[in-house]
Amino acid sequence: MKAIHYINQFFAGIGGEEMADQTPVFHDKLIGCSMMLNAMCKPDIEVTNTIVCGDNYITNHTEEALKEIFAFLDTKEFGIFFAGPAFMAGRYGVGCGIICKAVSERYHVPVITSMNEENPGVEEYKAAAYIFKGGRKATFMKQDVTPMAAFAKKIAKGEKLLPAAQEGYFPRGIRMEIPQPDGIMAADRVIDMLLKKINGEPFQTELIIPSMEKIPPAAPVKDLSKATIALVSSSGVVPVDNPDRIQSASAQKWGKYNIADRDNLPEGVYKTIHAGFDPAAMCAVPDRGIPLDAMRYFEKQGKIGKVYDWFYVTVGTGTTQAFAAKFGKEIAKELHDAGVDAVILTST
Amino acid sequence: MRLEIGAFHVKDIVFGDKTAYNAGVLTVNKEELLKVVKEDEHITTADFRIVHPGDNTILCPVKEAVEMRCKVSGGHGIFPGVLSEMEVAGSGRTHCLQDCSLIVVGEHAGGFQDGVIAMGGEYQHHTIYGDMVNLVLVADTDEDFERHEQQKKNHALRWAGMRLAEYIGQCVKDLEPENIEVYDLPSIYERSEEVNKLPRVVYVLQPQTQMEAMGYNTLIYGWDGNHILPTFMHPNELLDGCMVSGSFMPTSSKISTYEFATNPMIKKLYEQHGKTINFLGVIMSTLNVKMDEKVRCVKMAGQIATSLGAQAAVVAEEGYGNPDVDYTAMLVELERLGIKTVGLSDECTGRDGASQPLVSMNPATNALVTTGNVSQLYEFPAGMEVIGELEALARDGNSGGWEGCIRPDGSFIMENNGMFCANMISGYSRRTCADF
Repeated sequence: MKAIHYINQFFAGIGGEEMADQTPVFHDKLIGCSMMLNAMCKPDIEVTNTIVCGDNYITNHTEEALKEIFAFLDTKEFGIFFAGPAFMAGRYGVGCGIICKAVSERYHVPVITSMNEENPGVEEYKAAAYIFKGGRKATFMKQDVTPMAAFAKKIAKGEKLLPAAQEGYFPRGIRMEIPQPDGIMAADRVIDMLLKKINGEPFQTELIIPSMEKIPPAAPVKDLSKATIALVSSSGVVPVDNPDRIQSASAQKWGKYNIADRDNLPEGVYKTIHAGFDPAAMCAVPDRGIPLDAMRYFEKQGKIGKVYDWFYVTVGTGTTQAFAAKFGKEIAKELHDAGVDAVILTST
Repeated sequence: MRLEIGAFHVKDIVFGDKTAYNAGVLTVNKEELLKVVKEDEHITTADFRIVHPGDNTILCPVKEAVEMRCKVSGGHGIFPGVLSEMEVAGSGRTHCLQDCSLIVVGEHAGGFQDGVIAMGGEYQHHTIYGDMVNLVLVADTDEDFERHEQQKKNHALRWAGMRLAEYIGQCVKDLEPENIEVYDLPSIYERSEEVNKLPRVVYVLQPQTQMEAMGYNTLIYGWDGNHILPTFMHPNELLDGCMVSGSFMPTSSKISTYEFATNPMIKKLYEQHGKTINFLGVIMSTLNVKMDEKVRCVKMAGQIATSLGAQAAVVAEEGYGNPDVDYTAMLVELERLGIKTVGLSDECTGRDGASQPLVSMNPATNALVTTGNVSQLYEFPAGMEVIGELEALARDGNSGGWEGCIRPDGSFIMENNGMFCANMISGYSRRTCADF
């Protein structure tokens, strides 16, 4: 069986951030970690090509990047596709996710990558690819490539694939029936779980019901007339040229924009790029998403101390919980450091 | 209440002149048994077969499985309120032909609720019946009103199975059992100080009772479960035949009459009683289709558990899909009342495995045991002998079959849904589900 391997500009040795806009390059001779992957895959799988693409290019110009990569892959024969490992590198992880999902959908071959559990690409793409649990940085290269190769060999040899937990990849949202690994019958498993639960000992449910993390609300603001209030929003309202290229759906970033000299957000200067609703009304009056006009009114009345000089914004539609939580932490840190007392969070 | 189960361990069943049991061998006289079957004039044709573990044989469409038993003392019949007068089951002595069952198979017509049993091959262990010797009644009826209905009451055949189980069971009435299982659980108020110190546990059973028309649901002493409100029962009543399996719901999520009476979950709770827990008893609840009925039953069951002082509960759901609402609601209500729960049921994850496994989910249900996946696809090779009519799987609306699922060469593919009582909600299952 033949395989093709995707890596980013950094692991191809082209360069770091300054080369992140690199367009796809196709190598007939393996480069970088593709050589290690190929050595581990032998003799069941031959890795024939390395594809290199800049992280910014594939995440910001996805359509063009995929078009170029498909034009190359269309001429190739392959039964497995690899990407990464991406470790903790967020944009690399997302890039691996984008290419794996697209290759799986177009060529219907197994797609295998590896990321650290904190890589935002995991949450976004774990349903679309076998994403193996990887280390935090490149020193884990050999350790992370090993299970990718071993799993691919099992596929190539037609061996039975075990549940995600045993193979070592993040569950893809697929559940299947299996023989109870230790052969113990259900009534005994119930008793075991029951006694542990009664006695307050740890136990493992067989069906995990996903739970929503409950965040305790912050304490009330003591004196609004002295408080600095910031506007934060998932409404997608940005300067008309969308300078940070925030995605219109499944956002992977946020932006902040200075409003120190403004009393409102005029039409034509700001707009929403949110793809989850009809934008006409909000583009006509961007304050409907970021209510600066109302906040200035309260500021003049002395009801609130001050409107913070920057507003923070992203797009909510399709954005995963993992990204949303990441944005929240990043934004909260900045606001906290700036001495902001409270936030009005507008959604759509 | 004290029940003695006198066990006779059947190693083989053979046809012979006289229906009798001797040293592990059950001999049955076919003519005698046919007379018992033909007591119901609706049964038009009937024959018997004997199948063994490892036989390259498939049974289809399977309607029911029953343990062959007789009441020796403490009662008059093995199905009180159904075949004999209404009296409370669970006391005295019952003799049981164990390690074997009586299985009823339709000669031709199947339906939504009927199933497949494999005696050999890859799926032999997917039912408990694949691992025991079985006497098989294969029969047809004149119940033409439902011949072409997807939902069948299967009344004549299911009742024939019960009559046969009782008739054959009589052959060990006067024999000395090979061993005696004792199930002795006094009133909650007459337990020793040591037992009273242990955590108090109830078993909450949600039998399949969702059919609004009568004749399809699980019976409790012959009474349609759709017409009961949650009721406190003694575990011995279940072990001694108060429950008769219904004829509704995809079969893999059903509990057969055999399993209701041999219920391993109850036996395990009994085993722990006095050691780690104080087993209070059984709250018999229901499964309903209407939301207000679901809520009423859950709330009333919760009240009973609270009044009994239950501190923990095992909840078992005979079904999936809509009844998951009752199942999750029961677990959530008990947890809300401060009762620690463990759930026991199967999942439905869809053919691609990507569907939500239970229709209703709540993070409060943090201890669930999974017995199988109704959506799992099973591939059967060609060349297995069929007792009954395999075509019923594809033709008669079976929940795990479909038109075209049987290939011209005789091989076939089916969903777990159609495997007879395969998910063993009673607790026998040695399967689970995992994330992939």
